[in-house]
Amino acid sequence: MCQNPHQSNPSHFQGSAEEAMTASTVEQSFEQYIQGMKFFDPHVHMTARTTDDYQALADAGVVAIIEPAFWLGQPRTGLSSFKDYFATLVGWERFRSSQFGIKHYCTIGLNSREANNEALAEEVMEILPLFLQKEGVVGVGEIGFDDQTALEEKYYRAQLELAKEMNLPVQVHTPHRDKKKGTERSMAIALEHGLDPKMVIIDHNNEETVKSVLDQGFYAAFTIYPFTKMGNERMVEIVKQYGPSMIMINSAADWGISDPLAIPKTAALMKMKGISDEDIRLVTYQNALDAFAQSGQIKESDFIHGMEIDQSLKFNGNTVLRGGQAPRVNKNSLIIS
Amino acid sequence: MNISEQLFQALSKQCQPKELDWLKDKSSKDANSLSLSFVMVPRFIEKQELEKSVLDDTAKILPDWNWDGWTLDRLARVYLLSLCQERGLDQEAYIKKINLLFDTAEMNEAVALYSAMPILAYPEAWMNRATDAVRSNVGLIFDAIAFGNPYPKNHFSELAWNQLVLKCIFNDKPIHQIEGLEARNNEALIATLVDFAHERWAANRRVPSQVWRLLVPYLTVAMLSDIEKLIQSDKESDRIAASLVLDQSHLAEAKALAEKYKNQLPAVPAESWGALEKPEPIYQPA
Repeated sequence: MCQNPHQSNPSHFQGSAEEAMTASTVEQSFEQYIQGMKFFDPHVHMTARTTDDYQALADAGVVAIIEPAFWLGQPRTGLSSFKDYFATLVGWERFRSSQFGIKHYCTIGLNSREANNEALAEEVMEILPLFLQKEGVVGVGEIGFDDQTALEEKYYRAQLELAKEMNLPVQVHTPHRDKKKGTERSMAIALEHGLDPKMVIIDHNNEETVKSVLDQGFYAAFTIYPFTKMGNERMVEIVKQYGPSMIMINSAADWGISDPLAIPKTAALMKMKGISDEDIRLVTYQNALDAFAQSGQIKESDFIHGMEIDQSLKFNGNTVLRGGQAPRVNKNSLIIS
Repeated sequence: MNISEQLFQALSKQCQPKELDWLKDKSSKDANSLSLSFVMVPRFIEKQELEKSVLDDTAKILPDWNWDGWTLDRLARVYLLSLCQERGLDQEAYIKKINLLFDTAEMNEAVALYSAMPILAYPEAWMNRATDAVRSNVGLIFDAIAFGNPYPKNHFSELAWNQLVLKCIFNDKPIHQIEGLEARNNEALIATLVDFAHERWAANRRVPSQVWRLLVPYLTVAMLSDIEKLIQSDKESDRIAASLVLDQSHLAEAKALAEKYKNQLPAVPAESWGALEKPEPIYQPA
């Protein structure tokens, strides 16, 4: 969840000029490093993306994704907008994703920015339980702090209670500003509410926050923004330093400048830098799967061999994007037929 | 036996004892718990496709209701919905409850709701929902209202019916799965279909061969040039469709046309239009 005040998303950590060079190499030829790999992106806002992105994800080996509920770039003004958005996450977007053979899950929550509208937040809290019980909802998220206001804290706490009650994992957004303190505070509050740290995924980490997150037993997620702006090499260093356990990577791609292929590209960089295939698999697939499968809502067999084995989608083998459109199109073809 | 008892009997043929216990427990609860259980079904009921022994029950329960391709969790959800009307809700409360389920439905819940439409109380109350499902771009939702479902046949206006058939063709799906195709066939639909076929031909595309079955009762002399075009098609299935139309039409000029082309027309298949009842996608990925 990122605002875009200038030209691009602010990185959660920045890279150097040399790193940008390597990055550009990976950018151009990442596919050859990741042949046969499968990826799970636990944080990507597909409602903000095009079908080209879905196609690129499928082609790069992304087999499953989680779309956390977040804000839309501007505040919503009424409950119906929230309701329709949540319904989209479990409905239309799930279907759109299935057209590209990608299994779509989501987390549902009241995001930190909009927690600051107390009257609306109260109404949203009332409908959250209904959506949290839905099939394929794998957690409460993304919730946490943005400006670190009292209202943000109030609804963060209320949603932690909801997660505990419903035995769902929590996806915690950590703030861009005052990140270190915000992250510590997010974890302290989660522990205070009696959540098991392994049920909590602390998102958007950097070198400054990761040690404490792992030491306290939480999952640590890292958001990779476009290569030219961001030091993926640091991600590689983090995996080298801390090992693959409890670490996962995501793209957090949204309506800002961001890259849905961040995971495959980072996997390629890791491969170039000598990280083992098994460790790459853990941080780009398995750990995210393990963390969110604690919801009881993820069946790896639904996507690991492709989506066609999902009986509920197999009926007649015929689904449509829009009447008469084939979901896969050859972009290089000059002929429009 | 009422419908919910018959549905439970069908479920008991395939459910595991543990699943049946859960359903029994939930089915004794009030309307509020029923809608919560409706949401929770996939946590407790497997998603296997229905077995043949279960499918055999459907026609007995309701004419033209066909559960082909349904999964067990869908049937369980339809069962729970069938119980809602036994909970003594008045009309307003009942409609409000079902509407809330629609408004917040995820994809599989929506599919179950549309599948249950023929047995929901106050059928007129769901008309807008049903026509919305025909407009849906979600294939599974369209299928749930269009196929094996007697609700459109029994309740759609002619306009809504014609939209359903056209959308089905437009969506590249086989029309024979629509219940009531013959009973609800009408002249306005045929006029639109013929225009539609001409547009497709202009774009060097075709319409699925079985669509021509709808012309039989309304065939006019003006349409015979379209049938001639089918006779000259390089698709065997189009030529079979032409044979069938000419064979089944009572139009004298149709007989003359059949005579004229008797050496080119394939034999009328013994299974009639059944020979052409298959998916015939027109839009193929590049």
